[in-house]
Formats: sequence, structure tokens, C-alpha cells
Amino acid sequence: MPAEAFTRELAARVGDANVQTLPVAAGDPPAWQVSPGAAAEVAEIVRLCDRDGVAVLPVGSGARPTRWRSAVGRQRVHVALRRMDHVVHLDETSLLVHVQAGLTGAGLEKVLAPRGLSIGDYPATMLGSTIGGMIAVRTPGKSSVRHGFLEDAVLGVSAVLADGRTIHTRVAPRRSTGPDLSRALCGSEGTLGVITSVVLRIHRRAESRLVAAFRLPTCDAALAAAHLSLREEVKPAGLRIYDAAEARAHLGAELQQTGVTLDDGAALLLVATAGPTDLAVCDRDIVASAVLAEGGEAVDTRLGEAWWKLRGGDPREVPPPSFQVTVTPSRQRAVYHAVGGAARAVGAVSRAHVSRFDADGAVLFFTLVTPGPGGRPLDGARLEEARAACEEAARGAGGWLLGSRSVQFDPYLAALRAALDPRGIMNPGALV
Amino acid sequence: MPRAHVDPDRLRRDLESLLGARRVSMREGDLDTYARDMWPRLLLARRDGRPPDHLPFAVVWPEHPRELVALVKLARALRVPIIPYGGGSGVCGGVVPVHGGITVDLKRMTAIRAVSRDELVVDVEAGVNGERFERELRRRGYTFGNFPSSIYCSTVGGWLATRAAGQLSTKYGKVEDRVAGLTVVTGRGELVETDGPSRAMHGPDWTQLLLGSEGTLGIIASARLRLAPAPQLEVYRGFEVDSVAQGCEAIRRVLQRGLRPAVVRLYDEFDTFINSLGKRAPTGDAAAHGAPRGATPGYGAPHDDGLAPLPAPGEGALPVLPRPDPAASDGGGDDDGVIGKLLALARGKKRGLRQEAIGLALGNARLLNRVADRVARRGCRMVIGLEGSRIRTEVEAALVFAELAHAGARDTGEVAGRAWLAHRYAVSYRMSPTFRDGAFVDTMEVASTWERLQDLYHSVREAIGRHAVVMAHFSHAYPDGCSIYFTFAAHGDDLAEARRLYDAIWRDGLEAATRVGGTISHHHGVGLLKAPYMTGEHREAMSVLHALKRSLDPDDIMNPGKLGLGAPRAADAAAKGGRA
Repeated sequence: MPAEAFTRELAARVGDANVQTLPVAAGDPPAWQVSPGAAAEVAEIVRLCDRDGVAVLPVGSGARPTRWRSAVGRQRVHVALRRMDHVVHLDETSLLVHVQAGLTGAGLEKVLAPRGLSIGDYPATMLGSTIGGMIAVRTPGKSSVRHGFLEDAVLGVSAVLADGRTIHTRVAPRRSTGPDLSRALCGSEGTLGVITSVVLRIHRRAESRLVAAFRLPTCDAALAAAHLSLREEVKPAGLRIYDAAEARAHLGAELQQTGVTLDDGAALLLVATAGPTDLAVCDRDIVASAVLAEGGEAVDTRLGEAWWKLRGGDPREVPPPSFQVTVTPSRQRAVYHAVGGAARAVGAVSRAHVSRFDADGAVLFFTLVTPGPGGRPLDGARLEEARAACEEAARGAGGWLLGSRSVQFDPYLAALRAALDPRGIMNPGALV
Repeated sequence: MPRAHVDPDRLRRDLESLLGARRVSMREGDLDTYARDMWPRLLLARRDGRPPDHLPFAVVWPEHPRELVALVKLARALRVPIIPYGGGSGVCGGVVPVHGGITVDLKRMTAIRAVSRDELVVDVEAGVNGERFERELRRRGYTFGNFPSSIYCSTVGGWLATRAAGQLSTKYGKVEDRVAGLTVVTGRGELVETDGPSRAMHGPDWTQLLLGSEGTLGIIASARLRLAPAPQLEVYRGFEVDSVAQGCEAIRRVLQRGLRPAVVRLYDEFDTFINSLGKRAPTGDAAAHGAPRGATPGYGAPHDDGLAPLPAPGEGALPVLPRPDPAASDGGGDDDGVIGKLLALARGKKRGLRQEAIGLALGNARLLNRVADRVARRGCRMVIGLEGSRIRTEVEAALVFAELAHAGARDTGEVAGRAWLAHRYAVSYRMSPTFRDGAFVDTMEVASTWERLQDLYHSVREAIGRHAVVMAHFSHAYPDGCSIYFTFAAHGDDLAEARRLYDAIWRDGLEAATRVGGTISHHHGVGLLKAPYMTGEHREAMSVLHALKRSLDPDDIMNPGKLGLGAPRAADAAAKGGRA
């Protein structure tokens, strides 16, 4: 079909104002961006694309443009869900919210906060994404010690399949009626369907929130204290460990202000506990005892408060970490030291913080800098070289790098896609 | 579609070449045994002396994942179904070989491999008995936290294949909440692993797509399961509320404050009433049947537990679960206990019942339920328990009890709570002997969000109550909703009548659940029993399940006819053909 005719067909479904022809290089097939206003419009667009074999690429906040390139070579429609940003139903009795996929986490928090509700103690950086995007793309760290993995908070998903059918997985607190079909959509990156809405668990705002800061003689001791606390079933709202260099980089001003000094090998452990007051106090005290047992001590609470405020968006522009590794508890110390050794071997220094503790372990964020006081972050070829060496060391010590995939399941995913999407229109460049 | 018949001699030769003669059986007695699970509809026919409608062609006992691979490859080549079999404790007919096939008993795959202490995970093979698994973990200072009442007769693999739940699911979650990875032999005959910190992985979470597949996508060979430290303290307490609605509200408030008791059970008025009939002193019960309670209540000194050799004193508290209530498994069918009382009502017997309850409306379930409504307006019993690390559990228990009191619940003391603990594994063993003369008892476990829970309770109770005596308790509570466990008993004059009644109860009950937005199963699974209702449950999303089936089991050899994947698949193909 000629591009103009297809544009008219799209416009007939979502309105002229919501269709945009995207600029493409000379000779490339045409591309469109449409902004449907309802799930029914998404279904119509997908049906139209299925008819003509046009690729469908869901776009959330549009933060991952690199993924779009993979579909170049065929006609494609980017389905931007940003107009679908409504709360469909807020069930305060069951603490559930049914939201359209285009609403951002931060947008949802704005609706929930005045009612004393919250999406929960997840990493604040996560909240900038759309809910649909958060669910559709699996990355480590979308989890909370207190509430578990974000996917565990997904009670139901509505999605449009390649043939234009809309599915709604049944909403129930737990089920025993076959596999959890909503999990096929979670992490599928738009290859099995376009997620149009999600039913999410939410939480009442914690009655109390306490923060505390501790200094430990080594990073190993800090990790040991963290795991000791978690084994005592502490459920903190946030937990983070900085090694000394990272602490100076992130909280330098506060360290100076509070007069807390850190030896080079030392570490800072920060914790926020939340819940009914007695329980929040109990959890904080358990962490304090674990720190004591590992030879640490409490330091000025203002350090903890500063960390809690800065979580997520740091206005002081601490450089983003060079790379991150997901590591199960027993491997964390080994990975930390292996990366340190690998960095030194190439004439660099690694500093790290550990956060996003969950049932799988935690995420270690490493920043590679130049040696000497006031180390500057590496960049360019120097960074690439050092990062490659450090990532190899981390993998060798048992860490999992971002973007690992179980290749064993590739044929099964391909067959699943073929069964649901015989024409291969759903985000064809993803997950291959 | 798999073949309905194979050459038995060839099959035997092929199987024996894989496993040796000792681990292959085609004996009549074995085939008969493996033709069923504990599905009451099958027990009805059994009590009537009927042979099974479907028999497997052979039963095999593999010992290693590579033998599972070989078996699936053989089955693919022969186009013969494979039916994985664990403890046989299912109650939905999930292992019935409706198209014949090779029944693969996994109970010889029993390795338990602990992983480093910081990880809080364990690798375990699918055939491990549930109680043995938990006992091994307790010895090492851990718990898996899954305590189904079938724990003595179910396997870890069976739990995973059905998304089972234990009694303490409010704290520990259902089994699917505690799986870090699976090793599965798919219907293509390939051994695949889903483990690794799943959140570092791109793509769908295959673990969650294989859990609950009831053998229709592959055989779960082993799993990496998440553990919790063994509890240092258990606190149990009884409470009483005026009504189901008040009790549910109290539970909801507790959970939504972020408090996590291990178990909360609320019995409806009729259940409470039936339970109160001819009650023995709970303390006496605990002493007679449960493990004695020592410093670690519930897992105390086990000199007569009859389960395992004991460690020397000083090796710590031996983790021993209370053994099954001997009265429950004596096979005498003495109509003792809750189910006996309920059956007595259904049959119209007067033994042990108060005249006011049974003097009216015998044989008329609807009227009897209404009468029960009236006589039973005496409040509802509630049991609540917490366990975990010592200090935290103490603090949490105080908060929970205060919240319950604030919601109007009356504390009935610790003894009332512990009485439940002593008998919590008793019920499963009562089923079989009580099936006599067309009488049957069964349970239906549905669930919904809190918003719909009272609707669910009333509509399902009404639907079952058209045909049977019914009582219910609310258990497995979560911050967002709760499960309701209906127990019902009825009596048909002959097998045909009993089956008709049985099917009508399930049809009306499950349709009512679907109508008000609940799920048709919280933890028993689907099997054959609920297969006809899967389309109502999942509607268009069934197409995703069909796609999974095509991907993982392209030849439809894995436990065919289950999970609602039987007939609709042909319909699906026809619809596709029509569209082309």
C-alpha cells in the first residue's frame, strides 16, 4: 500500500493529530508514529499492521531509541502510548490500581500520594518510565526488599496480540489455573503483544520511616552485615552500601559537614526502615546489631537522610556508573574484589556502591576512575578498555551482566512468537 | 493427537532398554494404581467397585534427568503421551491418562543439594517427598515454608507443577513465589534450565510460564527454591468475630498495615458450628497426637514421632512435624471429625449432632443450609499464627493482635490457636474411607481481591448450597485478597446420581466464581476437573496458553487433555483455518 494511503488509514483510526510520519533516510521504508488514545485504537492499529505486514514497535517514554533501529528495513509503526496515561480504577479496598500503560510511575505516585497511598519503595529511578515500559522490559533492580520484584506486583495485564485480539489476564491475588499468562507479556519487549493496561498492587504509605547510617571497617564487613540483617527478615525500604571512594564521590559534602571520616578500605551502610513504628524501629535495631557484630558503628544520621533524599535523581551530577553487575549473595565479595583487581591491572581504579537488594542478591554499580586523589571518571577508549576487563572479571567471579539472556530458550521464544504472531510484525528486532 | 494404542511388547522393549526391567512396569496392579489421584470423582467410582476408565500403558521410575530426556524422546518417536506423576495426592484428576501413555513416577529422583549458606536457596529434585524435604531443611536451619495438608503424601515436583500452597502462605507465599529457577525436560525432549538471577535476563520469565503447567509443557526435573531461616519463634492465638464480613475486614486491616502473620484462618458460622460439635479438649488433642511442645513449639521433642532417627541432645531442636492424626488415617471411616459430621448431615444421620441442626430438612441441602445459617449465628472462629525470627515476631505479633482487637475481634487465647496447629495435617487422610453409599465430600478453593470477596463467598456458597451441605473458611490471605475454601458434602442414591450431583456442584460453583470475578482455583490446580472452566477463567488469554503449548510441546504428548488444552485446540485450529 502506498505510504499516503496507509497514513490516511492510520489517521482514520486515531485522528490526524495523532499520526506523524517519521523522517527516514533516503531509500528506507516509511515509518510512522501514532498515539492511540484507547486500547481499542491500539487493537485497530495492530490489526491494520498485521494486514499489511507492517512492524509494530511499542514506545513508552521513548527512552530507548537504539532499539528502534533494528526494525529498519521494513515499514514500521511506532505506537506511542503516552496519551494512554489514565488511572482506570483505583481499588482502595484491595490496594490495587488499574492503570493504562502510558502512565509513568511518577504520574501514578501523584495520583496516589494525596490518598496516603504509594506504588511502594521501589528504586526512584524506575519511576520515570511508563508503567507499560517498566513491565515490558525486564532489567535488574526493579525490585524492593520490602515488596519484592515489580513483576510480583503485577496482578493482571491487558494486551493486544498480533492478530488484534485483546487479552485480559484474570485478576486474583494468587491462582492455580495453569502458568501465569501475564508473565508472557512481562519482559516480552512488545514481541508477544502491546501491553495496554496493568493492574498493580499498591501500598499504604508507611506509618513511620527511619533512616540510619553506619560505618564499617571494610566493604566485606558491610556486605556481611547487610546479609545478616536480611536473614533476620528485616524488610527495609532501602539499603545501600558505599565503599569509601564512592561515598566521597556521592556524599562528600555531607561527610565533611558531619565530620565522618572514612579510611580507604572502609564502607558506609545506609538503611531506611518503614512500616508500623514498632516494626520500623525493630528493623533498624536489627541492622544496628548486625553492624556491631561485624565491627562497625553508627554514624551521624544526617548521612542517611541525605542519601534518602538524593535517591534516584542526584542534582549534583555524580557521573553514571560505568557498568552494573547482578550478584547473588555469596559471590558479592568476590566480584567486588575481582573488579578492583582488574581495574588496577589496567591502571585504573574502581569504586562501587551496592543497592537493589532482593531475593536474587543485589546489584553492584561500579564507576571506573583515574588513580590518585580526586580520580576523574574514565571516558573514551580508556573507559571501554577498562570496562571490558572489569566486566570479564565480574563475570568470571560469578556476576551477571546487564542484558544476559538464556539462549537455551531462544528456540522456544521463537516458536512462541511464531504461534502468536505468524507474520512477525511485533517488534521484530527485539529479543533476537 | 497422540495414538491411543501402541504395541505393548515393543513399548516394553523400548522402555526396558532405557531404564532396565526393574524400573518399568506393565503389571495390572501398577497400571491400576497409577490410573488415578485423589480426585473424589474417581474415588466415588472406586468405592463402587468400578475399574478405572483410563489406564496408562506403562509406569516407569527414572532416576536421572537424562533418563527423562530419553523417555520424552521415545514418547515423541512413538507418539505416546507422557504423564508425570508425583505423590498422587492431586484432587483434580491431573494424572489420569485420558489418552493412555507412559506414566513417569518421579519419586526416585530425590536428591537435595544445599547451596552456600548466604544464598538461601536449595537445589532439589522433583520427586522428593514434601515432609522429607522440609525435615531435611530444618536439620540445616532452614525452612521452605510450604505446608500443604498433603505434605506427607505430595512431592516438591507436584507442588511446582500445580502452583500449590501451604498453610503458611500468608508469610511465605505460594510455591510459585519461592522459585529461583527450574530444570525442565520440555515436550521437545530437551533439558533446559531457567535459573540465573532472573531479573538480569531479558525476555519473558520462563520459570513463571512453566510453574503450574501440570505436566502439559514438560517434566519438572528439579528446582532451585528460595529458603527462609527456620523460625525461632511461633505464636498462635484464637480469636472470635461476629460475622464473616467483620472477620475479613479485620484480616484485611492487619495485612494492609504491612504486617505478615504466617497464617490467618477465618471459619464461617456453619464451619465454626460444625467444629464446635462434640469438641474434645484441644489441649488433650495436642498431647495425644501432636509432637510434644518443647522450647520450640511445633517442632519440639520427638521421642515417639516414628519418622526418623534422632540427633543427640545438644544438636539443636529437631525439626519434626506433627505426624498425621492416627484417628484420621485408621481407614475405619468412623465419620469422626469435621468431614464426618458434614457427611452425616448430608446423609441424614443423627450421630453426634444436635437435634436442632439435623431434625429439619434432612436430605434437602438448600433448606439445611438455611437452617444452619440460623442456628449457627454464634460468631466465627479465627486462628492466627506468626513465626519467624524471635524479636521481630514478638513485635509483629503484638501489633497484629492489637489491630485485630481494634477491629472488634475477641481474643480466645493461645490454646484455641494451638489446637488448629495440632490437627493441621489430619484432614487429607479422611477422604477415602468416608466415601460410601454414594456419599461424597470435596473442597473448592476459589479466590478474589478483597473488593469482591464477600460477593464471591455468598454467590459460590449459594451455588453449592443448591445441591450440598456447605461450609467455608477463609485462609491464604494476602494484602490484596484472600482465598475461600469451601467444604461440601452430598449424597446420591447411586453412582450415576452421585456423579450427576458432583458435576452440578462444580459447574454451578465455578461458574459463580467466574461471574463475580474470582479465580476458579487458588491452589489445587486444574487437572480434568476444572479443564472445562479454563476458557471462562482466561477467555482470550487462552490463546497465549495454546501458543505456549505449541512452543514447548509441539506434538501434544505431554499430559494431553489437561488444563483445558484438549478440545479447544482443535477448535482453535478450525478458527484459524476459517480465517485464512
